[in-house]
Parts: sequence; structure tokens; C-alpha cells
Amino acid sequence: MASRREFLQVGFAALTLPISARAAFSPAVSAQTNEAVPTPLYKVVFDERFPASVEFAEQARKLGASVHGIKGDITSLWFHDLDLRWKKGPVAIAGLTAHGPIFCLERLAWDHRMRVVFRADHKRLPDGSIEHTLSGPESVLRRAADLCTDGPNWGSRIANLVTQVPPGRSASGKAAFIAPLAKPTGDDPEPLVSWVIAPIRS
Amino acid sequence: MQLPPGVSSKDFSDAIKQFEEAVGKEWVFTSDEDVALYRDAYSPFMGEPEERVASAAVAPDNVDQVQRVVRIANTYKIPIYPVSTGKNLGYGGSAPVLSGSVVLDLKRMNRILEVDEKNAYALVEPGVSYFDLYRYIQEKGLKLWLDVPDPGWGSPVGNSLDRGGGYLMAQYRNHFDSHCGMEVVLANGELLRTGMGAMPGAKTWQQYKSGFGPWVDGIFSQSNFGVVTKMGFWLMPEPDAYLSGTVYVPRHDDLIPLVEIMTNLENTRVTNGMPDLGSPLLSIPMISEIDKWNAGEGPPPPDAELSALLAKSEGGGSPELEQYALRKGISYWKCKLSFYGAEKANAANWEYAKEKFSAIPGVKFEENESYKLPLTPEQREKVHKPQFGIPSLAMFSIGARSPVNPQPTSGHMWFSPIIPRTGEAIFEANRVFAAAAKEFGLPVLSFSLPSCYWERAFIFIFAFPVTRDVETNKKNRAAFKQVVQRAAEHGWGEYRTAPAFQDTIMGTYSYNNHALLRFHETLKDAVDPNGILSAGRYGIWPKYIRDQKA
Repeated sequence: MASRREFLQVGFAALTLPISARAAFSPAVSAQTNEAVPTPLYKVVFDERFPASVEFAEQARKLGASVHGIKGDITSLWFHDLDLRWKKGPVAIAGLTAHGPIFCLERLAWDHRMRVVFRADHKRLPDGSIEHTLSGPESVLRRAADLCTDGPNWGSRIANLVTQVPPGRSASGKAAFIAPLAKPTGDDPEPLVSWVIAPIRS
Repeated sequence: MQLPPGVSSKDFSDAIKQFEEAVGKEWVFTSDEDVALYRDAYSPFMGEPEERVASAAVAPDNVDQVQRVVRIANTYKIPIYPVSTGKNLGYGGSAPVLSGSVVLDLKRMNRILEVDEKNAYALVEPGVSYFDLYRYIQEKGLKLWLDVPDPGWGSPVGNSLDRGGGYLMAQYRNHFDSHCGMEVVLANGELLRTGMGAMPGAKTWQQYKSGFGPWVDGIFSQSNFGVVTKMGFWLMPEPDAYLSGTVYVPRHDDLIPLVEIMTNLENTRVTNGMPDLGSPLLSIPMISEIDKWNAGEGPPPPDAELSALLAKSEGGGSPELEQYALRKGISYWKCKLSFYGAEKANAANWEYAKEKFSAIPGVKFEENESYKLPLTPEQREKVHKPQFGIPSLAMFSIGARSPVNPQPTSGHMWFSPIIPRTGEAIFEANRVFAAAAKEFGLPVLSFSLPSCYWERAFIFIFAFPVTRDVETNKKNRAAFKQVVQRAAEHGWGEYRTAPAFQDTIMGTYSYNNHALLRFHETLKDAVDPNGILSAGRYGIWPKYIRDQKA
């Protein structure tokens, strides 16, 4: 056991199984997918501390998204922006962050009838490669194959993916890719997660 | 879907239809996906049949709908489990104690009914979050502060009914103590108001707590005797200024006079903020320093000599360790005092405090933050927000994986014993809990310092990990119960716990053959004969289940 203060030092938002994702993606939900019209993203969240996340934001911005930088703490994003916006009605957001922010945002989103509809865990392996484990709409997973190619630009590839998540329920699945990372983009000290939170439409 | 025990599918289905008529079809949730949202993200039973899960959820919008839901539940003997925002992770979240219960989700009841600036109080519904109330106060420009827990995403009603705590002046930090007046829907659907609220047209419901006759508010906290639908809170008038100063003492045993003087200064209101203990030598941050330490602004790691001495020392102390501290000029302990009030008064109180602490040989002082209030936006970003009444989610920014936590767990369960406000008790508790950790196969416990959320007593808060491995969770649950018993043998009881341990902990409050629990049960049988409200919460089971357990 650890004291509360030790614990706060090492991770209040410790890794937790995404309950909603499990419920939403298993078994696969069958519905029409409209691949031509991706979910409009109100905001794309990135963490200024992580190079891959910054790269993700740059690409998202190029694709026309409104991006918002955090340094781990989502308080300001929540209080000054999302809380106000979601009170008017649910709108989708996406991000590439550490686990803590998405853990928190997911639960806040539940209160507004939204769910995590796409999630990818990006884990650095001891041999220097990176493992991408994705769950989400099959149409998006099909586009994800280039994540297994080498190169450090996976953050921007993830931006391409999250901006293509279809609205509503669609056939969903899981995929995993391991990509060599010859030239790491920097020292990302903890696993990152890319995600899309979107309104549910049954 | 797990049906409530003893309820037929037909009765459950009929009840659901009536719930839909009462609150609207879209506010009754029965799909697996929706009901899964009420699972406890930190359940110590994750992946086991014993995980506490709901059968459905109902989200009323107003008191009348709550009354209708309660009456329907009584008709069909459906157990219901009220939650306000359900975000007390580590203490159960929104999952019911009894599987199959229908969660009564009060988040839609989110009206701020009254905020009185001159008399510094608020009257709110259960779905009002700390952020909602903070925003209201900011937008209206009121000179009022809320005492918020950390993280601050829950609700004043839920947190106070769970008897949570915060960081401001002593009279606000105990959130249940700072409430004033409740409205409660009883198990038969009747509406009750406590305190002055019992008088029709009362003008002082949120200004005078106890009303006339027995003061019953306490029985609605950590209990299952009613559904609280409104609650008043005393808010803290914004002070003119804030000052903090830290006291450093050099020796191991200095903790004893440090605590004694600190406590006296708090009890005499010389210092009115939360005292905050830390140890420079043992690298134990004060609560208010944790954000900075996590941002990489903490002290450098111990050198090789100190690391070796720390590894050898038991209970946080050894003569060699103290000699090292004295030789290197590193203080053994420190204590931050906070002062909210007039600028001149704060300075005078700090001076007086320094005089008192000067009785400890080798004591040093450091003045820390000094602010005229309100804070500027720049200052607001720098401070530990809850100490200034600002709700925060910064806790979630802490990394899940770090060198000291290479294998993150899937959550935690809090073990939170209350111990006496003395230095001796801190040493004794550390010895006892370190030995218990060793005996019960728990990770080694380094020296810990308690927190001062409550006046008069300390609270230790330890996290037991929840993992994805069933066997590990079983072992940790068993160890948790053993540590609870070990604490009780020393006279230390927990202040709050997750549903998995509420029976165990209630069992330690066993004076005179469990007279207190038997009294709770007598009350339960009288006010909720069908046992529909929060069955099992804090160890209070309805008669029909109690009889089965016996």
C-alpha cells in the first residue's frame, strides 16, 4: 500500500480498463457507415509535453481542426470550454494525450450521452519499436495499416485517422500494429492514447 | 442484466415501465452499454462475479419525480441506489452496494437554488457539481469561496453526504459539518426538511443548523435512510489576503512538539487554514507541494549515502539518519501553516506562531506565499487551486507510469484510518502499518505522514491497488480487511470506505455487542421497512437480507 501523497505522486489516474469502449465494441454493432462524412470534431486536444502529441496537433490543424494544447491538466479546457459547450449539446472531440486526461474526459463525456468511439494505445516497447493497439470503427482500422511502417511520424498518421471517424454506430473491431521506431521523436515518458469521444446515436 | 434479488422478471419489467412513466422513457437506462457506465471503474471485484453492478438506472429531473420513483420501488420492492454525480472513485463510484439495484441518478437535478452573498450560503440540488457552483459564483462576481475536494469533479451534496473534506478554513473543511439544512425524500415517498426547514416559511433554513428537537441530519450521511434532494452549505467569505509560512525542525523527535504546537495554534485559530506536514529528509511532500513535485519541481533524489541510510532505517528514523540530516543541514520535518484573513492579522498570527515554534531548538522559518485576494489569473495558475477554493482536475494529469510505478494498476481502494493528533501517534501508526504490510504481503510501506483535513484528528490515506488480475485483487482485498482489523486493535477506525469493505469496517465499530449497528438497523426497519434504499450501504442491510445472512 502507498500513502495518499505517494500515490498522488505516482498516478491517481492509473490505467483503467475502458468500460464504455468494451461495451460499445463488443460485439460489433452493425449499421450503415457513412465514410464520406467523418464526425465533425469540435476540438482536438494535444499535450504540449509530448513530441508525438505536438506532431499530432500540427497535422490535425493542417486538416482544419481547432486544436487545444494542455500540459497534462484539463481543468482549464474543461472549465473554460468543454463544460460550457457540452451543456449546450454534445459535440465530438479527439486527442492524443496521456491516460489521465482521457480517463477523466471520458467520464465527464458520459454525463452528456457521449462515448469513446475510437481509442488507440501507443506503447513504447523495450526494443525501441512502438505498439499501436486500436479499437474503433472498422473503416478507420482499415486506414490504419500504415501505422506498421517505420518512421517517427506516427503522431501525424494518428491525426489522419481520428479525423476520419464516422458518426454514429458502425461496424467496429480491434487491430494492433508494431512499428519500428528507428529515430524516436523524443522521450515520451509514458504511454500515450489517441481517442475520439463522440455523441452516441442509436 | 442482473435482476434485483427476489424480484421477478415481470415485476421488474412492470416497475421499469412505471419508472418510464414517472421520469420519461429516455431517462430510464436498461441497455448493457448504458448500465455499464455505472460500474465502479476501480472495483476490487473487476472480472469476478461479486462485482457490484446495477440492473438499470433512472434519472429523475425533480423532487416530484424522485418521490414517484421511490413509491414505485416500494410497490415492487426494487432496491434503488441514489447517486449525485457518482464520481467518488476509490470509495465505490456510482456502483450499488447490492448488485441488481437500480441506480437513482440525480445528475439532472442540477439547480443552484439560492446563493446568498451577505450570509455566505448556498442551497443546491444533488446534481450541482463543484464546477457548476464555482462558475455561478464567478459569473455573478460574488465574494464567496467553496471548499472543494481534490479532484473537484463531484458534487457538494454527494461529497458531504460521504463526509469528504477540503482545504480552506477549518470550519469549512469538513464538508458534512459545513452543511446547513436538508430536504429528504423518505422511503415511503414523503418529503422531509431538516433543521429550520421543518418550519413552513422558515427564514433561516441555511443559517441555523439544528432547528428544534433532535437534529437528524447526521443519519442521512453514509447511510440509507432517505434520498437527499436539496442541501444547504455555508460558504467561505472571500478573505482579504492569504499568507503561508513553513516551519522546519531538525530532529526526528521534533515531530512531537511540532504537531503539538501546530494543533494548539489551529485549535486557537491562530492559523485557520489546513496545516500541512512534510519531510525534506524523507522526501515526503506536503499536500500542497505534490503538483509541483509532479511537474518536476521537487527536490533532487537522495544521494547514495542517504539512500543507504533510508533503506536501513525502520519507521523513518535512525541515529545515523538524524546525524546525516544535521550534518547536511536538511530538516527532518516541516509544517506549512496557512492564514486567511486581513493582511495585517495574517502577518501578526504568523509572527505569533513563530514565537511558539521557537521553543523547538534549531527551528527555522520560511515565509512562502503572500497574496492579496482575489488572485490574479497568473497567480491562479501557480497555486494549489483547492487551497483557494478553486475546483481542479489536475490530479488526473499525473502520469500513469513512472519509474516508481512501472506497472500501473487499474485503480485503487482507499484505506483511511483516523488517528490521534499527536506526533507519537504518527510514529506508532507507521510502525504498526509497516509491520502489517510486511505480515500481509503488501508492498513495503515507506514512512508516511497523515493529513489534517479534519480538526482534532489526523487521517492517513493509503491506496491499495486494484489490478486486472483476479488473484491479486483477492489477495489485496484480504489484506485490506486484515489491515482494517489491525488498525481497530489499536483503536483506529476508518472514516469512509468502498462498498466492498463497508461491512468489515462497520464490524469494527462494535462497542457493546454492535449497539451502534443494531440501532442503525432499528432505524432502517422503521423508516424503510421494504429495504429499498441503498441496501447494505455502510453496513446497514434491510431486514430481509439481514435475515438471510444470519
